[in-house]
Amino acid sequence: MKKTNEKTIKKSGLGAKASRRLGNAVIYVILILITIIWLFPFVGITLESFKVDVRGMDGRFWPGEFGFDNYIRLFKETDFFNWFKNTAIMGVATAVLQTFFVLSMSYVLSRLRFKGRKGLMNLMLILGMFPGFLTMILIYKVFSDFGLTMEMAPLGLIIVYCASSGMGYYVSKGFFDTIPKSLDEAARVDGATRWQVFRKVIMPLSKPIIIYTVLMGFMAPWGDFMLASYIIHENSAGMSVAVGMYEWLSKTMVNTNYTMFCAAGVIVAIPVVAVFLALQKYYVEGVTGGAVKG
Amino acid sequence: MKFTKILSLVLAVVMMAACFVACGNNDDTPDTADLVGTYDITMWVSEMDGVAAQFQQQIDAFEAANPGIVINAQIEGVTEADAGSKVVADVATAPDIYCFAQDQLARLVQAAALAAPGKAAAEKIKANNDSGSVAAASVAGTLYAYPMTSDNGYYMYYDTSIISEKDADSLEAIIAACEKNNVKFRYALENAWYTASFFFATGCHSTWTMNQDGEFTSVDDDFNSAAGLAAMKGMQKLAQSKCYDSNADIFTDAGVVITGIWNAGAAADHFGANLGATDLPSFEVDGKSYHLGSYTGNKLMGVKPQQDAKKAAVLSLLAQYLTGEECQSQRFASFEWGPSNKAAQASEAVQANASLAALALQNNYGIPQGQIHGSWWDIAKVLGADAKAAKSDADLQTALDEYKTTIDGLFQMTEEQKNAWGVIGGICGTSWDVDFAMTEGPDGTYTSDVLALKAGEEFKVRQGASWEVNFGVEFNGANIVVEADGNYKVQLVWDGAQGGTVTLIPVE
Amino acid sequence: MKRLNDLEYLKLNKFDAFLYKLKLFFCAIPLWFKSLGLAIVNFFKTCGLAIKNEFVDIGTTFKKGNWAVKLSFFIFGVGNLYYGQILRGILFLLFEIVFIGYMLVPSGGIYWLSKGNWFQTGATIGTVQGRFEYDPIYDTDVWVTGDDSVKVMLYGLLTIIFIIAFIYTWRLQVKQCKICIDITAKGKKVKSGKDDLKSLLDDQFHKTLLSLPLFGIMAFTVLPIIYMVLVAFTSYDAAHDGYSNLFSWVGFEHFNELFNFGKGGLGLAFGEILSWTLMWAFFATFSNYFLGMFVAIMINKKGIKIKKFWRTVLVMTIAIPQFVSLLYVSKLFDSSGIIGKLLGQIPAISEYLSANHFISLWDSPIVAKILVIVINIWVGIPYIMLMATGILMNIPADLYESSRIDGASPWQQYSKITLPYMMFVMGPYLLTSFVGNLNNFNVIYLLTGGNPLNTAIGTAGGASVGHTDLLITWLFKMTLGSSESKYYMASLIGICVFLVVAVLSLIVYNVIPSTRNEEDYK
Repeated sequence: MKKTNEKTIKKSGLGAKASRRLGNAVIYVILILITIIWLFPFVGITLESFKVDVRGMDGRFWPGEFGFDNYIRLFKETDFFNWFKNTAIMGVATAVLQTFFVLSMSYVLSRLRFKGRKGLMNLMLILGMFPGFLTMILIYKVFSDFGLTMEMAPLGLIIVYCASSGMGYYVSKGFFDTIPKSLDEAARVDGATRWQVFRKVIMPLSKPIIIYTVLMGFMAPWGDFMLASYIIHENSAGMSVAVGMYEWLSKTMVNTNYTMFCAAGVIVAIPVVAVFLALQKYYVEGVTGGAVKG
Repeated sequence: MKFTKILSLVLAVVMMAACFVACGNNDDTPDTADLVGTYDITMWVSEMDGVAAQFQQQIDAFEAANPGIVINAQIEGVTEADAGSKVVADVATAPDIYCFAQDQLARLVQAAALAAPGKAAAEKIKANNDSGSVAAASVAGTLYAYPMTSDNGYYMYYDTSIISEKDADSLEAIIAACEKNNVKFRYALENAWYTASFFFATGCHSTWTMNQDGEFTSVDDDFNSAAGLAAMKGMQKLAQSKCYDSNADIFTDAGVVITGIWNAGAAADHFGANLGATDLPSFEVDGKSYHLGSYTGNKLMGVKPQQDAKKAAVLSLLAQYLTGEECQSQRFASFEWGPSNKAAQASEAVQANASLAALALQNNYGIPQGQIHGSWWDIAKVLGADAKAAKSDADLQTALDEYKTTIDGLFQMTEEQKNAWGVIGGICGTSWDVDFAMTEGPDGTYTSDVLALKAGEEFKVRQGASWEVNFGVEFNGANIVVEADGNYKVQLVWDGAQGGTVTLIPVE
Repeated sequence: MKRLNDLEYLKLNKFDAFLYKLKLFFCAIPLWFKSLGLAIVNFFKTCGLAIKNEFVDIGTTFKKGNWAVKLSFFIFGVGNLYYGQILRGILFLLFEIVFIGYMLVPSGGIYWLSKGNWFQTGATIGTVQGRFEYDPIYDTDVWVTGDDSVKVMLYGLLTIIFIIAFIYTWRLQVKQCKICIDITAKGKKVKSGKDDLKSLLDDQFHKTLLSLPLFGIMAFTVLPIIYMVLVAFTSYDAAHDGYSNLFSWVGFEHFNELFNFGKGGLGLAFGEILSWTLMWAFFATFSNYFLGMFVAIMINKKGIKIKKFWRTVLVMTIAIPQFVSLLYVSKLFDSSGIIGKLLGQIPAISEYLSANHFISLWDSPIVAKILVIVINIWVGIPYIMLMATGILMNIPADLYESSRIDGASPWQQYSKITLPYMMFVMGPYLLTSFVGNLNNFNVIYLLTGGNPLNTAIGTAGGASVGHTDLLITWLFKMTLGSSESKYYMASLIGICVFLVVAVLSLIVYNVIPSTRNEEDYK
């Protein structure tokens, strides 16, 4: 600590402007380094997907020959389009339902005071500590009984993703906490019911958190592998991209399908990147409004 | 209109003729007339490209050969290595027909996920397929599945530009060549299926016994011995070489890959003109040379138990057809899957295949995989990691000691199991590897289920699947010999110590 | 220990204050036990009193009530109907009819309850075992289905829950009768069905909003958790899957395994894996937190251009599904991957590897552990960066301005303004992210699959144990990832994990700032 002080004092002797410029130069170097490290796998996967001379892993970074063969194969020879469709449907449905569940839960816990509120929050904190996927063992059996697995897996998965999503209320509750209470009170004095306060006062102010929740819900099915593979139970008609693609890495398939796997990865990334970039601003607002308060 | 009529008439005649021809080939084809109907079935077959499509064609052919039977099959690609555990996870919704690797048979039988072929079918299957595959599809003498391939083994692919044909016989020479040329020796030693090959080389064995429910009861395993130590030393040589890589699923930088038929295409791509395929090499420890062994295994087709007898019969017929000579030959032609059917094996094309030839060479040193406890795979694979990490011979010995302790720990029996009596012998198609349970009656005697015994067969009864307390003609005495063919119950009257008599009670 | 008053406490610097709190926390533990004991005694006293009051209340209701109230002790809702609460009355009545119907129909509640052999050690769950029967006409075996233990247990559990709900509802409507009696005695009007509906959008609005989310949580989290806890007392595994072979109650038999500390013992494996899991969660959480904040500060520094570009670069990694990017990264560090090869050429590393007979970096337990933590930084920083960006923007700029005038260096600004502020506002997030990391399945499973194998343990609970295995990946291997599928073992471990995490969170929750009073920050 002391050492640093001496250093900075010396530095400031150079003149504030020069030292700031030096500092900025260092930061640029670090940021460029970070960019390289963070983009490396992204670029690597993309390059892998353009390889046409090999179909397995060959350990080279740069393709020997470029081409779109893998992408063509993806749509011509595999069920990828179907998986993509399933996942997109799941994404949209999860986004809508999950947003409803999470917002109701967090709004109630943040704005309304009622008997058992503290107890409810503690209960959910405790439930969150039990290793969640163990519950899947039972849920699978029940779903299998009701025919919500295999072909109907997308529907089953939507239910799984949404049903308990109320427990993830933390971020949005934090967001609601930052909206001044005086707004509600003023509206209540004017004779608005709580429902009207919710709909006419709070919702219009909550665009960032709504978009944040929608985004999170939409992204969940794309990356989930564990639950999805369990519920889908090897049925290609009901597969999501994650489960379908993962099969290509099995012992007997990796040598013919690895580059195609990477191509599929790139395609899956495109909608998610697009949505994310478009809504980044709201994401930041939503998450910071929320995460700052538990 | 008339034309159509004539055409349909002609078609019908042709179909009838085809049917007669099909029947003519095989006299005892069951009468399929009362099986006519439409059946919706689900199937799991290998996920490799094109396999599902070919199965669909073969099902179409089956429909053509059995007029009136319409099969709407929904075929999914599922890795054979995992199919068994996926089926066990949910037997109720499992596919009607599924293909799996033989190591899962015991687990599937235990979970009642396999419907055994009927008596006539079983006889036919046993006659048409090689004995290894029949054994692989059987538990305690009962055939439970339909053998599909006899190629689930491993051998060596190598680069002939680096390794000469002579060097390919010696592990040491191969390691030296790989290190010199800076290429990888890919051998999945941290997978028990491959780890075992070193132990088989030095003459070790690991055989498991189970009861007729598919439950394992004991193991006879001598990996922890002088021979086992020699195997560990051999393994250490390879594992500690800088050319060794335990990932044998990819061919990157490979000079040698120990793998199986499923990688035939990838091997041809990688090695190109320099592709060599042969049996595994020998290694030398303490002046003695050992040829690496291997597991020989099979892929099997299973039929899920049905509640509807008619559907069960159709599924059985279909499975027989799909694992018959014609279909196995087709699969060999398309995917190089080595047939288990004897007639298909004898064909010229199969005999000329390089990979299958290498496998056949290696099979001279092969051990049929039989049935192995599911935990063994996790227990034994540690040995490969141990050999790699070992710094001294003492470490190797410690690894073996720990292995032995863990294996023995699998059979810590409950009091109930320790006190249970069983009949064991060369009976009912088993060879002293199955305990047939005996139940205690209200009068204190122990009686087995009805067993079909043949004259000359020998057996004993024993307690707790161990030989400590057993009866032959007397306590710990000679084997009991069956005098005449027939159905019997075996009964033991026991005084709780060394007094007791075993009697055969004939049953009508 | 000396207690500080508020003023003294405020004078402490952050670190000392933190230490002080930690000390307070641990000194309070003996007191906790004492107060816990008192609380238990009190609890039973209050309970006893409450139960007594309930019965007295029920008694007086019965005595005071007219024929309708008395009748509603047996037929739900009659009292409500009598007092004009048509909607409530009908709902209560409907509930009773449905409940009695459910209990009595064939394969209804009573049927399921009777099949369960509840908690009789050694007895099977379900009574009819499925079996094969030979059909001589078709020469084939036919499967005759029996009970499914899984279903018997599930529907039995549901029935028990229904019964509890039934009793609760009975009490509820009796209480309502009492309220009606009291209200009419005062000469006021009871609430009508219309009032009830209206209040659902106003006074009782929370009930409306919470109904669906809470139902989801009860059905998909609470019920399965209760079920899985029960599984620990059964023999449910692949060999006894309930459908083909019934499983049975075994009591506390499996719990002994927890105290087996020999090789392959559950106790040893659990201890070892737990300690790595905690270590992992600690490093994964804090490395991400500090570095992510650092990156955010750099990007947000005045004078740094194309801020949006830097952020976008980082955000891209969130967008690629983890199972694609992590698998690719794990291959990069393999012996034939680009980075693996590159690092292998560094003499120190290659010497270390060959001395220990490791092929790739992933073979070394310690290197593998470091690698997963480092790669997790790659995964986690973007999230923290986004979050920290927002918080940084919220820090009032004049704080920095005035400190600069006072001659504070950038480091001082960071340690005295930025860090405390962040620490304060992100405390709760750290807690949730710590718990999240304890259960971080994806990163470990996709990068290492738990390997390298831990040869000192071998296999435990029917699954091999690796050096980088977290409790959650081990559980996965034990159940879905193996053909043994020892569900009872997994549920046992699940209970233990739950206990550990709960105790830890309790400690953390009490020590870190800004969690206690949620009204603070408004």
